Amino acid sequence: MKTLDQLVEKALSRRSFLASASAVAATVAVTGCGGGNSISPTTPTTTTPTSTAPAYTDADILNYALNLEYLEAQFYLYAATGSGLASADTAAPTGYSGTYTEGSVTPGVAAAVPGLTSAQQEILNEIAFEEQSHVQFLRSALGSAAVPMPSIDLSFFGPLAVAAKVTTAATGAGSFNPFSSFDYFLVGAFIFEDVGVTAYSGAAPLISAAGVTAGYLTAAAGILAVEAYHAGYVRTSLTGRAIAAGSATAYPYLGAANLVEALRATLTVGNSAAPSTSGSVETLLVLPTSLTTPSAIVAADSSDAVGFARTANQVHHIVYGSATVGVAKGGFFPNGTNSIFATTTA
Amino acid sequence: MANLETQLLDEMIVKSRRKMLTFGAASLAGLMAGSFKSAEAQAATYTDSDILNFALNLEYLEANFYYMAAFGTTIDVANAASTAAGAPVVTLSGTVGTAGTVSGGSKVPFTTIEVASYAIETAIEEGKHVTTLLSALGGSAAAQPEINIGTSFQTLAAAANQVTPAENIPSGFSPYTSDDTFLVGAYVFEDVGVTAYHGAASLLTTSSNLVVAAGILSVEAYHAGLIRTTLNYLDPDGSQGLLGYTTSISNLRSALSQAGLLGVAPSATSYDANPDDYGLATFTTPTSLGGGSPATATRLVDANPADVVAFARNPTQVLNIVTGGGAVSGSTAVSPAKGVFYPNGMNAGPNGFK
Repeated sequence: MKTLDQLVEKALSRRSFLASASAVAATVAVTGCGGGNSISPTTPTTTTPTSTAPAYTDADILNYALNLEYLEAQFYLYAATGSGLASADTAAPTGYSGTYTEGSVTPGVAAAVPGLTSAQQEILNEIAFEEQSHVQFLRSALGSAAVPMPSIDLSFFGPLAVAAKVTTAATGAGSFNPFSSFDYFLVGAFIFEDVGVTAYSGAAPLISAAGVTAGYLTAAAGILAVEAYHAGYVRTSLTGRAIAAGSATAYPYLGAANLVEALRATLTVGNSAAPSTSGSVETLLVLPTSLTTPSAIVAADSSDAVGFARTANQVHHIVYGSATVGVAKGGFFPNGTNSIFATTTA
Repeated sequence: MANLETQLLDEMIVKSRRKMLTFGAASLAGLMAGSFKSAEAQAATYTDSDILNFALNLEYLEANFYYMAAFGTTIDVANAASTAAGAPVVTLSGTVGTAGTVSGGSKVPFTTIEVASYAIETAIEEGKHVTTLLSALGGSAAAQPEINIGTSFQTLAAAANQVTPAENIPSGFSPYTSDDTFLVGAYVFEDVGVTAYHGAASLLTTSSNLVVAAGILSVEAYHAGLIRTTLNYLDPDGSQGLLGYTTSISNLRSALSQAGLLGVAPSATSYDANPDDYGLATFTTPTSLGGGSPATATRLVDANPADVVAFARNPTQVLNIVTGGGAVSGSTAVSPAKGVFYPNGMNAGPNGFK
């Protein structure tokens, strides 16, 4: 049985749905081989998988998602209203017996985005409401097992933008501040949205068979869909406003978003097996210039138009803003996520 | 994508998941409050192939609609426009069931780069979904059924007007006349695709299939977000009538979906109670934003406002929508369901959905 279990674990890793926490993942490296990927096992000196139990539970997966929702909800609520989640939505739940403690928000320059039209304000209200609802939904579903909100640093947009080279030259005005205008907000939102989609795509298959029966998979797939609606909104808005402006120069925010994509790729390359055969899980935005050229609203594998997935490890590298292995905090989460996936791995 | 290695891996993964199933589910008891709905308990006489074939039938419809609107051709016939855009030419390799033809539709005379480029992108992606599913299903793939993407829209428009008389869609409605009507036509499909993949996800037993289904689900939701966002930008206050059309269409879908539940209480299934569909009209958030007040919000996301999880539908609900009520007679399911977009019904295996 042990051999079969090892094969199963390797199979899961090969298919790239295994989160980084699995011990066996470290023994497998995916390398380029001709036109496709092949498994190249290194010396299996690490822990032998025990029995069939995965290293994480369904609650761990939902709590991982909850950490990301805390971040998204704080960002959108500040952008829409100028303040964040109510304390009832961030504290440890009654009966919580875990080890994590509630953190605080470093707002930095976070504020209600100025100069919005009423239609734009209603859009921000919608997304803020929806991300807040995801926090409340996951906390309700997890009950006393829900982790409290970790510390969140909304001032990290600045350093992240510098790292992505989204500088004055790239956006045409001032330093990057997602709370300073609708267009800057779109670029800020863009940092999260495709990531949220891929995080749920990567996490959904990790849910156990019992969890599937219990309805967690359906719930995760339903939140995945909402995140993709949001991502579709953000990418459509950036593309449409660039078309209306007439050129990439006239609307530098499209290029800024693509710089964010490039940074995300840099943060994750080499850190984990990419689910797509091309090795990239990014689809750069394009500026259609005629009635006969396609846009690039959807982020998906260009070979089969199937959406991307990211492992929990890849997502952590992005939200920490670090390509370094073994990092347990940083970036948007100055004290790390309240998750068993908090430490980055190879 | 299915070479020997991945097939073997998939087999191991299946065994792994089934093995997990045999271990106690009790360990999770008490962990979750009652928020999640349990998956519908039903005898799994169908296979993953049946579920993927159901998706394939829907993709045949979507892909042909977008190819016709963007290029003026069907998915299996290249023309100058489809070639110039780099759209795949689909080899109709499916053999299960009776192959049909595609009727109706014409290239939209687009006037804006926004909508034209979106149509082209979406066509290409839906075409790839067809080829991806055909490849995954191999010899088990359903043939392309008879599909009507012409008069079916007028039939649906008339039905939508009956559900919501206040929002009249013109009786001669065609999605092929302008950028605006194309978007309304696309609106008919996109949210339905999301609910169909969402509903199917928990029915799949093979992890690799689930990965693909989740990936296509995300793409369908990107498309739906794209369509809803663009309609919102074109008609932010509803004065152009477009938002009213979406409300009528969503209300019709909701009514057909509810009928597809066949009287089973939705709380006993993984599917949603009526309404399970919302048009683009703004709404007041049911909860306060942060520590503030409820606010007026757009509806760019088609999801349950109680928890903001997207809706899920079972195959009968989806069939009842795309056949305009053909899947239900009184309190009985009708199979094969026929009508509207599928004049002869879908193609499926013996235990499949049609």
